Amino acid sequence: MTSIAIPRPAYAERPWILDWLTTVDHKKLGILYLYTTMFFFAVGGILALLVRAQLAVADNTFVNNDAYNQLFTMHASAMLFLFIIPVWAGFGNYIVPLQIGAADMAFPRINALSFWLIPPAGLLMFSGFLFGGASDVGWTAYSPLARSSGVGLDLWIIAVIILGVSSTIGAANFMVTMFRMRAPGMTMFRMPIFCWTMLVTAVLQLLATPVLASGLAMLYIDRNFGGSFFDPNGGGNAILWQNIFWFYSHPAVYIMILPGMGIISEILPVFARKPLFGYKAFVFATMGIGGLGFSVWAHHMFTTGAVLKPWFGFMTFMIGVPTGVKMFNWLGTLWRGSITFEAPMLFALGFLSMFLIGGINGTFSAAVPVDFAIHDTYFVVAHIHYVLFGGAVFAVFAGLYYWFPKIWGRRLDERLARIHFALQFIGFNLAFFPMHLLGLDGMPRRIATYSESAGWETLNLISTIGAFLIGVAMIPFIINVVMAFLRPKDQPNDPWEGNTLEWWTTSPPPVHNFDSLPEVHSERPLWDLRHGNAAH
Amino acid sequence: MPSTGKLRVIRRVNLLISAALLAIASISPAFAGWGMPEPITDQAKRIQDLWVFTLIIAVAVFFAVEGALLYAIIRYRKKSDALPKQTHGSTALEIVWTTIPVLIVITLFSYSFIVLRDVEKKAPSDALSIEVDGFQFSWQFTYDLARLGQGQAPAQEGTFSIIGTAANEPTFVIPVGEPVEFRLKSNDVIHSFYLPNFHYKLDVVPGRDNRFVITANQTGEFTGQCAELCGINHALMRFHVRVVERAEFDTWVAEQVANKATVRQP
Repeated sequence: MTSIAIPRPAYAERPWILDWLTTVDHKKLGILYLYTTMFFFAVGGILALLVRAQLAVADNTFVNNDAYNQLFTMHASAMLFLFIIPVWAGFGNYIVPLQIGAADMAFPRINALSFWLIPPAGLLMFSGFLFGGASDVGWTAYSPLARSSGVGLDLWIIAVIILGVSSTIGAANFMVTMFRMRAPGMTMFRMPIFCWTMLVTAVLQLLATPVLASGLAMLYIDRNFGGSFFDPNGGGNAILWQNIFWFYSHPAVYIMILPGMGIISEILPVFARKPLFGYKAFVFATMGIGGLGFSVWAHHMFTTGAVLKPWFGFMTFMIGVPTGVKMFNWLGTLWRGSITFEAPMLFALGFLSMFLIGGINGTFSAAVPVDFAIHDTYFVVAHIHYVLFGGAVFAVFAGLYYWFPKIWGRRLDERLARIHFALQFIGFNLAFFPMHLLGLDGMPRRIATYSESAGWETLNLISTIGAFLIGVAMIPFIINVVMAFLRPKDQPNDPWEGNTLEWWTTSPPPVHNFDSLPEVHSERPLWDLRHGNAAH
Repeated sequence: MPSTGKLRVIRRVNLLISAALLAIASISPAFAGWGMPEPITDQAKRIQDLWVFTLIIAVAVFFAVEGALLYAIIRYRKKSDALPKQTHGSTALEIVWTTIPVLIVITLFSYSFIVLRDVEKKAPSDALSIEVDGFQFSWQFTYDLARLGQGQAPAQEGTFSIIGTAANEPTFVIPVGEPVEFRLKSNDVIHSFYLPNFHYKLDVVPGRDNRFVITANQTGEFTGQCAELCGINHALMRFHVRVVERAEFDTWVAEQVANKATVRQP
């Protein structure tokens, strides 16, 4: 086996803090992304617990209606815009260049800009709490309601535009990196599947995010400069906002889940000791989801009476097909494997079992008449959380446990990880499964309280208990991370017997990533090295 | 000893399944009607049938896939250091598990399309027609004396309204067994007219003329509320409907007309 030597640039030493503030190293930026997004995950989680505390019992007055509307708006905004979307950029930043055998991202300074837009945007969004109240119109900011909300919404609009810029230039950076900087021998169809999902995600971001930015600019003009894009009394159209918003925000759901699917598709083959079943089918299914993702936005708008329902219903059903292909390929990967259950695998299997529910309960909304019943009820809240928590968040933790040894050179404790998994899995189902039943029984979303006569108290209380259990589940995780940081770095290059190039270099990798690269003959170069091509 | 280990896992899974079934059984009486509240209109019945059909397929898919997953987890645990066979995929299988979902999807779409067409039928011109105005934060129900529906007295002129407030939830009345049209209006923000027993909601959008029709098939009093975030007291936009026999409806209308305060002359 020959390897290719890589020239090593020289680096000047800088003070620690200056180094982190000015770094253009994709790994350091990746770590900054992960710290920042996990911080906002914690903030969004605390807001969620306040929401659940308010809903625990009927006619509750724990928070008033005004505060409640701010709480759930900022919960969703933090989780979607400041946690899930950028956390993938964090993983992508750290992992994509390593997986394709590159020394860095294509545009390191733009990469630094992408990251450094996020903290100020987050602060701006939350600063509303200091200026008479944060945005209180939901993360969907429907007009005309959004025309009359307070200054918190202006701060929110500006913050989301800034985050959109971060996301858009980051997407361009990822695309160029993957198109231009792959290691010798790594054809597109030998690229690790996580990279593929990041690539499709980047395309979605590049196409969809500017549309949202234009909508937000229109909303800002409506609110501050006498515009009437969304005001029927001024010749505008209230439904126009929803069309623009969902044209971005439905693809955004795939932006939020595809990289998670990629992480799962990296982990399953390693811990089942088999290649990903149907690699190409998986790539095409990812593209299929991305493409179809642009033709289903109006399924959020069936009850407006303003959209072509059969078309959007049919396309929404169709998106279940590539999603199903992925699920079957994951099962095919496990089938006749030799499976072990380390922490990354536990969370990956948790993803499979829970995302399955999130896939199935979404099809009900494609059956348009059923959607008339469940739209804007807690059934939909259950659905998005089975996708974004049961799916995306489980994938985030799978990825953290999987790449922790690579990123920080230490391994997380398995026993604490199992406690974390068990508590999170049980808490998650207690919190979100009852919401299906509440929604079917007619409990609308975004209501600050409900009357005792509605009969929703028991299920809400169960849900609240589950939510707090998720909070408790974070304690063993935090202890685990803190204890790991107190230990010395002791991890070998490849603690899991991984398949992809990030496991070729040291843990953590040097500034220039690789001293040499192995030859790449398949999507599993390290497997080939360990077992020889004969093992195919 | 791998066999006892496997047995232990199977026993654990059994225990989990029985616990889950017990949990489902214990809450199921509260959710008869397959999780949905009682349908009180012909349209709601159609929607519930579609829900049940979709649910059966969904549950079947869930158990098939989750079952396969559990089976794989238990059956294919690592037992030796021998490498498993390195299968990279199967075009035949990919075609099969693309085709089957496509067929399921086409079935579900066709059925939901038929139901959609039926529940969205327009109202006959002589149907009772009620204007529903959503406002921050309650509802106003306006009856046109010239459009009181089947069996009405000779056409009269004028309207009367039921106006609610967030603190004083409005109750409106409709007759059973005949089509009733709702015309939804808003002058402030978007609301959504949602009555769980109708299994239906339609947004009340400023600048849009949204209408729908129901035919109630049983009497009683039912509660609905706004389903689109509309501001600070969104949660308090509740309303009630009383479904009554035609004769009782006529009496109620006569009472409303007699109470001049709520009648507006054209």
